[in-house]
Amino acid sequence: MRADLIDIQIEDFGNDVEISLSGSLSKAQLSAVREKLDSLMSGPGVFFFLNLERAHFAVDDYLEMFLDLMNKTRERNSTMVLLFRNEELLEYFSRYKNIFEIHESREAYKSSGLSKQLKQVGVYYGKKTGLRLSPRVAIAAGVLIMGWLITLFLIIAAQGKDIADKQSQIMALESQRDRYVQEIDKLESSIGPLKRLGVVEDTSQLNSFGAIRDWVSYLKHLENTRREE
Amino acid sequence: MKPVVSFLLQLSPQTAYGNLEAVARNLSDGLEILLNYRKVKCSIFMDGPTMEMLKKTAKPLSIGKIKAGVDEGLVEFLGGGFYDPMLPLFPKDLQVRQLKKHRSKLKSFLGLEPQGYFNSSLVWEMGMISVLEECAFDYALVSEAAVREALGRNSPVSGWFTVEDQGSLMRVVPVSDELSKAIGEDDLRWREIAESYNREEKPVVVLLDLPPQAEEIVGFFERLVDFVETNEVQTWPVSYIVNQLQPEGALSNLVSAGRKLGLPFAANTCREMLVQRPEINTLQKDLLNLFHRGKGNLQGKDLEKFYEELLPAMSPIFYRNLQDDEGMRSLKVRQWGFRYLQKAAHDLDSRMNFSGLRIDVSDFMLQGMKQIWVENPEISCLVDYNQGGILRLLNHKTPAVNLVNAWHDDGGPALFLAECLLPNEDLTTEQIGVLLAGRDRLFLEHYDYQVKRESGSAQVQLSGEQGYRVGEKQGVFLVKKELHFDNGSPRIGVAYEVANTTYQENPCYFGTLMELGLLESGEGPCIVADGSKVKWDRREPFIYPDAKKFKVFDSSLDAAIELEFETPTTVFIGPIFSASSAAAPQMFQGIRVYPFWKSSLAASEKFECKMNMTLSKR
Repeated sequence: MRADLIDIQIEDFGNDVEISLSGSLSKAQLSAVREKLDSLMSGPGVFFFLNLERAHFAVDDYLEMFLDLMNKTRERNSTMVLLFRNEELLEYFSRYKNIFEIHESREAYKSSGLSKQLKQVGVYYGKKTGLRLSPRVAIAAGVLIMGWLITLFLIIAAQGKDIADKQSQIMALESQRDRYVQEIDKLESSIGPLKRLGVVEDTSQLNSFGAIRDWVSYLKHLENTRREE
Repeated sequence: MKPVVSFLLQLSPQTAYGNLEAVARNLSDGLEILLNYRKVKCSIFMDGPTMEMLKKTAKPLSIGKIKAGVDEGLVEFLGGGFYDPMLPLFPKDLQVRQLKKHRSKLKSFLGLEPQGYFNSSLVWEMGMISVLEECAFDYALVSEAAVREALGRNSPVSGWFTVEDQGSLMRVVPVSDELSKAIGEDDLRWREIAESYNREEKPVVVLLDLPPQAEEIVGFFERLVDFVETNEVQTWPVSYIVNQLQPEGALSNLVSAGRKLGLPFAANTCREMLVQRPEINTLQKDLLNLFHRGKGNLQGKDLEKFYEELLPAMSPIFYRNLQDDEGMRSLKVRQWGFRYLQKAAHDLDSRMNFSGLRIDVSDFMLQGMKQIWVENPEISCLVDYNQGGILRLLNHKTPAVNLVNAWHDDGGPALFLAECLLPNEDLTTEQIGVLLAGRDRLFLEHYDYQVKRESGSAQVQLSGEQGYRVGEKQGVFLVKKELHFDNGSPRIGVAYEVANTTYQENPCYFGTLMELGLLESGEGPCIVADGSKVKWDRREPFIYPDAKKFKVFDSSLDAAIELEFETPTTVFIGPIFSASSAAAPQMFQGIRVYPFWKSSLAASEKFECKMNMTLSKR
């Protein structure tokens, strides 16, 4: 029953898997802990974070177990990171502190170096998909993709600029039209009294005038009318 | 000699009222009557939401009068928890938050700081002393029965005492149970009882519950004034006892299980409720789980806001073994309690940006045995692998509902995915219902568990031997039960493999029992089988044959569970009732769904079946 005293928590975030152990771990639980961790870490994941902050190890046998787990994760091209900050655990793992990847938290590991993490993800997916790229080819492919992206961006930017120009022209023309309409209104209002007195004939209201589309036709129409008369 | 009484007027927690606004308006009018009379001095306790409503509805003149009454010593307002919780059931952080929130509300409402602490359930444990001292309380009100028990005497106890724990001190004032009951029930012997307390003119504290019906509140205050006037009772607020009288002595230990909780008479502490009622225990453990997760992952304002979400789920209504919407015997109250928790869970997920899957193997129920908690952003559930791999909780976060929420009078928990064998006989629907309700043919032995992680999902694999009894035959089956969870979907896949390891044939009906706390509203359609709505009166059990899809939905909760079977499956469905002391002889407590398959299970034969469960909104 003592093996049942361990609390295990697994949080699966895709590539990141955080496994937390808590409780007092003695020799009685060793095989159970080994079996559980082995089973959990054989599943998918690139980074296995073992959070041991709330664990207390009563015997040294667990060090060997963690070394073994680390080797197995490396074989699967994954990484095992130990998470804790308490002094007792630092002391416990001091013999192998250069071998184990030890950090205070998952966030602390994430901010410890982007390149090694990218490399790790690359190695993992390379293994998983069977697609392997040499660094030079990867860089060339990267540059090519970046070039495509930049070209695409430039085209979009140029088109955007063109659209903006046309839009400003449209706006200028619209304001000009508004100004003309205002001016015509003003002129119409100024000749309004004269119109009412019958001094000015409003030819623009004539139907015949309105029907005539161009002056050439109009003149022909006038000539025909005169001839008929 | 004039009787000397300290009246303590107690308003039930806001959860007890249907119309809190009407209660607050009547309370304001009632207080005005009391203050106008000027000869009744008393102490009053009301919880935070009631106080907020009183502040919202009372006229400025009334609030001014109440403030003047406080200044003149006519009325004393007592402090307590914002939602009036039974403090020993909760972690210290939440206790302090409840007390400080109530204190700050009282300060903003009336500009005063309470001197005394009151809890309407009158629950007391020694661990509360340091918390009350930290929250600046001078004294606390406790049950007289508890003080008598501590003193080892049967005679009436009045005045005040001291208790200390871990270097902290608290003054405690006993509330007379006997006199409170006598005055509350208009017992003519009240004067005689009061005299036994009033030695040396020491006031006796009498607790009076304000009526839950809003329209009766004003009448209550009128009767109180009339009672004091007619009987020439001398009254004091409770603080008078502590401020003016000498202590009666020190108590080495003080424990009170509380009142009006539905606990057995012999119970010593309110924690007995967690042992007696698994539904209440599950709710409390769900709250503790959320609390610990929030505390471990959030900080600063995020943590404070998350704690605020948890506070309403601490209301005493969710920790009482009472019916008629006063406690957890009512399905509506249970749904209400879990709704608060699921809203908090949803809030926690968004604050933590939780995505993916979380599996936690720990002693969730704090009973010395591990369970497996599985959670994704949509659902969470508790797999009890020590008890046949049943689900003790199945929360759907978006409609904020726990589906495993039925109630059993026998004190057993509601079961979900509990495998059950029925004899291969010509059974009627009623007989199946009786056999399932009897719960003696279930696979409830311990399973070994294995968590198998896959890409975007995980499986909880359970395996072990399960004893069975089919008719006269008895034996052991080797059972494998697999629960499949996806990272972000409200779907659970279930697969069974039952192997007959014996040399005898065991024809039987193998199925899995689900006791759901749904369909409380009792109206409208609730079942869809293979795309067609099925009529059901929610009273008589029935069997639906050869279903490929079976859906139960609750319109009022906006929750549904759909079962999709690999092979055509017979589904039993029936109601769960419990006994009631009210006019209605039975209370509806949920439904029992039992999909089952016929199996011959010949010697060394294996039986396999699969189904998918999807939780959804209606």
